Amino acid sequence: MNSHHPARAGLAASLTLGLVAALAACSAEAGASSEQSYESWDEVVAAAEGQTVKLWMYGGDEQGNAYVNDVLVPAAAEQGVTLEQVPIADTPDALNRILSEVQAGETDGEVDLVWVNGNNFGTGKEAGAWECGWTDLLPNMALTDPADPLLLDDFGTPVDGCEAPWHKAQFTFVYNSDTVTDVPSTLDELLDWARANPGRFTYPAPPDFTGSVFVREVLYSVSGGYENVPLAYSEDAFAELTPTLYDELTDLAPSLWRGGETYPQNSNELNELFANGEVDFTMTYGPATLTELVADGTYPAGTKVLTLDEGTVGNASFLGLASTSGSKAGAMVVANLALSVEQQVAKAEPDVWGQFTVLDLDQLSDEERALFEALPSSPVVPSYDVLSENANPELAAAWVTPIDEAWRAQVLAR
Amino acid sequence: MARSGARAVGTTITALDRQAAGVSPRGSRRWSSIALVAPAVLIALFVVGGGIGFSLVQSLGLLPLVGEASLSLDAYVANGDDLARGIGLSLAIATASTVLSCIIGLTAALVITQGRSTGRLVAGLSALTIPIPHLVGAASVGLLLSDAGIIPRLFGIPGTEWPAIVGGTWWIAVVLEYTWKESAFVALVVAGVLASRVARYDETAALLGASRARRLRHVVIPLARPAVIVSAIIIFVYTLGSYEVAWLLGRPYPEPLPVLAFRLFTSITLTARPEAAAVAVVTTLISLAVVALGMAALRRTPLWK
Repeated sequence: MNSHHPARAGLAASLTLGLVAALAACSAEAGASSEQSYESWDEVVAAAEGQTVKLWMYGGDEQGNAYVNDVLVPAAAEQGVTLEQVPIADTPDALNRILSEVQAGETDGEVDLVWVNGNNFGTGKEAGAWECGWTDLLPNMALTDPADPLLLDDFGTPVDGCEAPWHKAQFTFVYNSDTVTDVPSTLDELLDWARANPGRFTYPAPPDFTGSVFVREVLYSVSGGYENVPLAYSEDAFAELTPTLYDELTDLAPSLWRGGETYPQNSNELNELFANGEVDFTMTYGPATLTELVADGTYPAGTKVLTLDEGTVGNASFLGLASTSGSKAGAMVVANLALSVEQQVAKAEPDVWGQFTVLDLDQLSDEERALFEALPSSPVVPSYDVLSENANPELAAAWVTPIDEAWRAQVLAR
Repeated sequence: MARSGARAVGTTITALDRQAAGVSPRGSRRWSSIALVAPAVLIALFVVGGGIGFSLVQSLGLLPLVGEASLSLDAYVANGDDLARGIGLSLAIATASTVLSCIIGLTAALVITQGRSTGRLVAGLSALTIPIPHLVGAASVGLLLSDAGIIPRLFGIPGTEWPAIVGGTWWIAVVLEYTWKESAFVALVVAGVLASRVARYDETAALLGASRARRLRHVVIPLARPAVIVSAIIIFVYTLGSYEVAWLLGRPYPEPLPVLAFRLFTSITLTARPEAAAVAVVTTLISLAVVALGMAALRRTPLWK
């Protein structure tokens, strides 16, 4: 974007045209997506030997980074695969990289696996960013429930074997019980609490992942429950349902932190405000990390999870395999490893990462089930069964961008 | 002795300049000099020309991620409001940062060229500032001046009473960060120019009876002007196109052009890429216009030869 030598641009015109033509020629081949060519798991394991797999994932979660680097990476090394974590600020960075590589016709790209779900997955699937139909080969897929709706559809987009399940998440509100004495029990009451306590509540600005789901939760609430919002997107439903949503959020804005003049840019900023005692609520898709944050004193000792009567949104996140990856077999071995009982238990350990498992406990042997049951319970976070009670489904990915963009235009830019 | 040595070096440089510019009378030497410059020019052309050309083609809808390529200006219109606000905001931030940097930098340069110990101290501070990346500067400003930052905590001021320097309506932290770093840049560039010329002229003017104020107005500032203009162009164009400081210390709305471009570029909507390219092209056009204006101003200064 910086052009310190722009005077030469005029001279460059003819050369540029030639260059662009060459680049355009490269991208013309991009459409050819490579079908995975492995017939059996043994073939995959053999091909994976010695491959290096780059896992692109959100790098802002220290526990997540520690789990991958201290637990998953050594386990992959035992299977002959070098796993490298590439921490990124936001998942679209990875998707964007794959799409650029697709555009350039790259076949040994920088991205192999991506921690992904929701509209990043949906958009990527539409644009040919993901390798599909490979998860049937993974032996550990047998440990999951084949009928689990969270694993069949990702924000309304059929998974179709284009990504392997990794863990489940439950959107959760968190409050400081030292300062919040009149605890709300529905989202509507939470918004009333915010109005009664000006400056003590806010939410991250969409398209931040957490801010975005908060706005969808409010949509459910003002529509009288998720049953009244069609999960598949249509312009009619959008036009009918969202005016109430934006009226509500515009009305709420003056009661927010800094009078709604601005919003935290991402969930990290909101978490900081909560940690500093500037607001009394925060929110997260990964409640399991709270235990550690309270234990190490980052969050106030009075931190508690707020369960809502009407439930909150739950989803699963996945490992997507980039269509431009040159280490597909290695990536499959890692995805299968990540689904193993050993790894899922380790990851569910609150001290490690505390992520909820995607495995179906009924499919496991007694000893394996006992490993999950032996996980310590947290003083802060209720178990997944409690958290996911009345869990609401995610809206289709096609809803997300229109909702976020209209929020920018109508609430942020008001 | 020293002076004649400097002159000798000066003559050599001028000769080299002429050679490089192809003014040499003999044709063969001209071609060989072009051949010598060619690698640098080609790399610049590849990066600058290629980048701008690619953005331009993409912004015109000729390189879509999905679907058919068709020539259109849709990408320029799609975010009309955001784009207009972004232009205004970016120009305001760049202007404020450039003006403040030039004033502070020029003052610092004058202190430096006085040659006393304060001058050495200021020169040292300026030189220290230069290698610190903007990103580190921005993070430091955020840690110090945000409402939960170190300074309000040190003075025990609660976040609600601390002015919104970071993420506030006036983008104060962003301008402060740019000014802190770029004024040091101006100081060093201008001091370098003044040090080589000013003493002689200043002494002559003083001998002829000119007061301090007159010397400043008629000798020092005119001598510094070309260097200040060149620095101003660089700072303006840099701050206009720089992303990380505005993103870290700014607010989600409105967005300066680079932040808008980056958000669109990384948007999960597939059609947003041409829109991002359009914002980048607009930023480049503004930069080109500013450089043209700056060069015109430079040509009008009597000392620019």
